[in-house]
Amino acid sequence: MIEILLIPIVTAAICYALKNCKVVGYMSLAGAVVLTGFSVPVILASISHPIETLGGVLYMDALSGYMMALVIFLCLVSAIYSIGYLEHELKVGLTDTAGMRRYYALLHLFIFTMLLVTVSNNLALMWIAVEATTIVSAVLIGFGFRKRALAVEAAWKYIILCTVGITFALLGTFITYYASTVVTGAEGVLNWTELKGIAGRLNPSTMKLAFIFVLVGYGTKAGLAPVHNWLPDAHSQAPSPISALLSGILLNTAFYGIMRFVSLVEPSTGEAFTGNLLIVFGLLSMGISSVFILVQDNYKRLLAYSSIEHMGIISLGTGIGGFAGIYGALLHILNHAISKPLMFFASGKIQAQFGSTRIENVSGVLSSMPLLGTITFIGAFSLAGSPPFNIFLSEFTVLKAGVDKGLWFVIGLFLVFVVIVFYGILSGFGKMLFGKATEQKNGAAGEQVTGGLVMPKHQESPAYGLPGFMTDTIMIAMALSVVFLGVTVPDFIDNTIRTCVHVLGVR
Amino acid sequence: MKNWIQAFSIIDFISVGILLTVIAMNALKRLESYVRAYTLNSWLLSSLIAIVAFMVGETHLYVASVTTLVSKGIVIPWFLRKIVRQTKVTHDAEPYISNTLSLTISGILVAVVYTSLSQGIFVTGFSKNVLQISIAVILIGLFSMITGRKAITQVIGLLFMENGLFLAGFSLTFGMPVIIELGILFDMLMGVIILGIFAVQIKRVFISSDLDKLTTLKG
Repeated sequence: MIEILLIPIVTAAICYALKNCKVVGYMSLAGAVVLTGFSVPVILASISHPIETLGGVLYMDALSGYMMALVIFLCLVSAIYSIGYLEHELKVGLTDTAGMRRYYALLHLFIFTMLLVTVSNNLALMWIAVEATTIVSAVLIGFGFRKRALAVEAAWKYIILCTVGITFALLGTFITYYASTVVTGAEGVLNWTELKGIAGRLNPSTMKLAFIFVLVGYGTKAGLAPVHNWLPDAHSQAPSPISALLSGILLNTAFYGIMRFVSLVEPSTGEAFTGNLLIVFGLLSMGISSVFILVQDNYKRLLAYSSIEHMGIISLGTGIGGFAGIYGALLHILNHAISKPLMFFASGKIQAQFGSTRIENVSGVLSSMPLLGTITFIGAFSLAGSPPFNIFLSEFTVLKAGVDKGLWFVIGLFLVFVVIVFYGILSGFGKMLFGKATEQKNGAAGEQVTGGLVMPKHQESPAYGLPGFMTDTIMIAMALSVVFLGVTVPDFIDNTIRTCVHVLGVR
Repeated sequence: MKNWIQAFSIIDFISVGILLTVIAMNALKRLESYVRAYTLNSWLLSSLIAIVAFMVGETHLYVASVTTLVSKGIVIPWFLRKIVRQTKVTHDAEPYISNTLSLTISGILVAVVYTSLSQGIFVTGFSKNVLQISIAVILIGLFSMITGRKAITQVIGLLFMENGLFLAGFSLTFGMPVIIELGILFDMLMGVIILGIFAVQIKRVFISSDLDKLTTLKG
């Protein structure tokens, strides 16, 4: 397990040391491939049997393995996508060789911090790792900040809001530690496995307080409303591959922290307490994001708000609880981690082509770029939650969990918000996909000024050659898996998620 | 010595000093004074930990005290002074609301914390007041982040919050294991450095270190 943590660090160091901007991208890809190769056997082993190292500080069970698999999958696809993306940025002068080296080094450090979150058994170590993801990704968002004022603004808001939020999560962790000292006597315990053993004996009112702090803290990081304000800014200003990572997995690693805490708090306080809080925050996130999706005129921000909506659904599923609820939430994490990065990749290409992130400036993608258009079409339908795509299945599972528990009011609101989002996403992307191609729209010398942000419009289609081919390949593969997972959940994924649900203590 | 510490309630004195230094931030006008208030706050925190370490005879608390002194008492203030100089802000902090109002609100916050935690669920090991004070420090730090106009004010508010958090953790459990505290400190140090870099960037890009210029992204 240690080697999995070391590989990204080594890759980051090598990427930073390389001086050649042509090689550095492939080096990062090689690092990602090696990481994948080493991690697959460990993940498979962890699913069948928990692994412990470093005296129980690092621990992998099925849930860790599941999250880790998602991190590594997204690491691989973003490493591939980054090559073409950065070559384009380099060509239009938005970055330079130093910037690229910094980018790839930070990308792998970011992966390292997220991997550390998934394997931390010690709750304080998990906090440290989550805070480290904030710091590293803030630098990644501000990447190339000398040329993009808006990226500085977004990164500032992101790091301030998330650090403050996460401070409360640390207080929650302290309180949990305190609660454990009361039970065990002198020395408290911080390891999740040990806390899980004494969870039923922890003082319920102390744990309630701890859970509220943890929910506020990690909830800020997971993009739950009403402390989601950083998210649209950060996701729209980050480079597209980083937006994909932020949205696809960073939010989920924070939510993973909440899930771990839920399983510690539930035995003493009962299911209703954590469940109701998660349901309220989930519905609130869905409600707020659905309104913003409806009126959004910037497609990257639209995708960011869609992330808030999906985090709301995951929170709702966890809150409803029971086997079906948690199963739905975990399946939704997987589906969202495929569909959303796919859409961010597609939007990165659209942005490179049209030089704008406003919906009104883009039209006719489907006729001018059939492949990209088709992929965007599939992704948009998937995010909107339409059958027969993957997100529909998991949303339906969450819905079924709610029906089983008879939470009619919750389900009613859920359906209303889902319908609003469905309309909002499809109308937004519909305007971009259909209509006459306007790519030769006369901007002032190929440049458009959007809110103080000067974006060079690119004349030729970006990323031809090998990077372009690889990017197309992964995007097609992701689009195919979106369709495939909408038809059926393969046995091994099904079994993994079932094991994860058992890990969280739900039968 | 131990009797002497108890007889003069030194621990309470120091923790009240911690509270006063954070409240003082609302009465000060210049950014340099903010940094000085924070430095004093960190030194008091460090000495409080050292005294409690002496009282209970725990070695790992001495380590925590020294690391707090070095990181929060020396390195971070030095870095903050450097940032203040680099951003070349007109040195006035210019918060959104007047000092009188913010002092009043701070007072109310302290009162609220004391009343709401009066029959608290916590049994504090060494002083009745430390937990209340630490929560008050966290809230006042948060409050000054909301009212601060300069980028650097937000950083200092955040640092005050973290000091309050350390105090809270310390009053609840006599601190975390040393390795964990070192990890948290490392994170904090990195965070402050990155925030400092961004503060300089904000100054450079927006030709002002006022955060009201950061309003392009919304909706």
